[in-house]
Amino acid sequence: MSRLARHGWCVATALLVPWLVLAAPAPLKLAGVPPAWPVLWLLPWALVDGPLSGALAGVGLGLVLDGLQLGPITQIPALGLLGWWWGRLGRQGPPIERSFNLGLLALLGAALLGGSLLVQGALLQSQQAGAWVVAPALHTWLAQTLLTALLAPLLCSLQLLLWRRQTQGRRS
Amino acid sequence: MQAGRRLRLPALRVILQAWPWALLLLALLAVRLSKGAGVSDAYALLSRPFWPGSAQGEWIRSAQSLSDQTRLRQLDADNRRLRDLLELQGRGGREVSAPVISRQAGGWWQQLVIGRGELQGLRPGLPVTAPGGLIGRIASVTPTTATVALLTDPGSRVGVWVGRTQRHGLLTGVGTSRPVLRFLEKDPGVRAGDVVATSPASTLVPPNLTVGVIQSVDDRAVPATEAVVQLSAPVDAVDWVQVRLP
Repeated sequence: MSRLARHGWCVATALLVPWLVLAAPAPLKLAGVPPAWPVLWLLPWALVDGPLSGALAGVGLGLVLDGLQLGPITQIPALGLLGWWWGRLGRQGPPIERSFNLGLLALLGAALLGGSLLVQGALLQSQQAGAWVVAPALHTWLAQTLLTALLAPLLCSLQLLLWRRQTQGRRS
Repeated sequence: MQAGRRLRLPALRVILQAWPWALLLLALLAVRLSKGAGVSDAYALLSRPFWPGSAQGEWIRSAQSLSDQTRLRQLDADNRRLRDLLELQGRGGREVSAPVISRQAGGWWQQLVIGRGELQGLRPGLPVTAPGGLIGRIASVTPTTATVALLTDPGSRVGVWVGRTQRHGLLTGVGTSRPVLRFLEKDPGVRAGDVVATSPASTLVPPNLTVGVIQSVDDRAVPATEAVVQLSAPVDAVDWVQVRLP
């Protein structure tokens, strides 16, 4: 069993993600678009807890979030993949702590997640009547990616600090 | 006047006693020079409730409103009777008010979550209105909540018509705050400013619910004319919505 998952309260922080998605706090929006909350939670979790735990957490979050959203578009593959990738990065080499690195990883993660939604939307729309309107989707993708990358150094570094303390404290 | 008599200045004590009167005199002088400014404004402010024009206007508006409401009720009753005769979709019966507990009008999904669900009789497909008109339809329900797919959602399609020209079209969400109205014919004769309402022929939503106003028309669109519609209900601002039960 992974180290972080043994702490109940650490797992419980995942509940913040659907709560924030539903609450959609207006001050934390850029041009009406909220940040990718699952990315901001999953990044530090996977970096601390490894690829398997990261992938499982990503899939779990994706399942919950897909339940809250309309339509057949899913976030599960992108979040699962991101959890696994970030988990591997966390296990290889020195620990990732710098704000720039966290921001860059979050930017890539939000871009991948948004890109997967965009592609799914385009495929779905092309099967139905009418053409896929690219401009609004690109606007959402860009705004969400930028906002997530801006918030990541602030939020993810705090989570990393907190969760690393938990796992180190338990090990010693 | 007696020669050699000198002018005497009033005593300082008298001047000091008279200074409030001097101030008053100065104020009156100011009123005179400003052509009554201040006095007439104060009078206007105090007498505003008794102005004949305003009060009369209120009475007339109130009477007109009463007359309109009565006429509306009669027309509604007539409309319901005629629709029953033609076996068309009705305007629906009871309305359930529901608070908006989550709003995602921007981003990948355009939806609301409302605080009423299956226990209150809500089910997928029911139309949801707000002050201003139709905003969407219920997409899914839980026992105590329901998710509303907004008209702006890319998956939303609602049959509408332009009352002035009586031309029908399909209102399609494109992910922005302004959905696109795709007409069924090449030259519908509509123009910016025309009011869009739900189609009387629709089997999904009640007829003649206000949807919005045409903002721009694209006559060169293929295969038929398209128009951008500004929704009349402010989705970003509504805190309560009404769900129309069948």
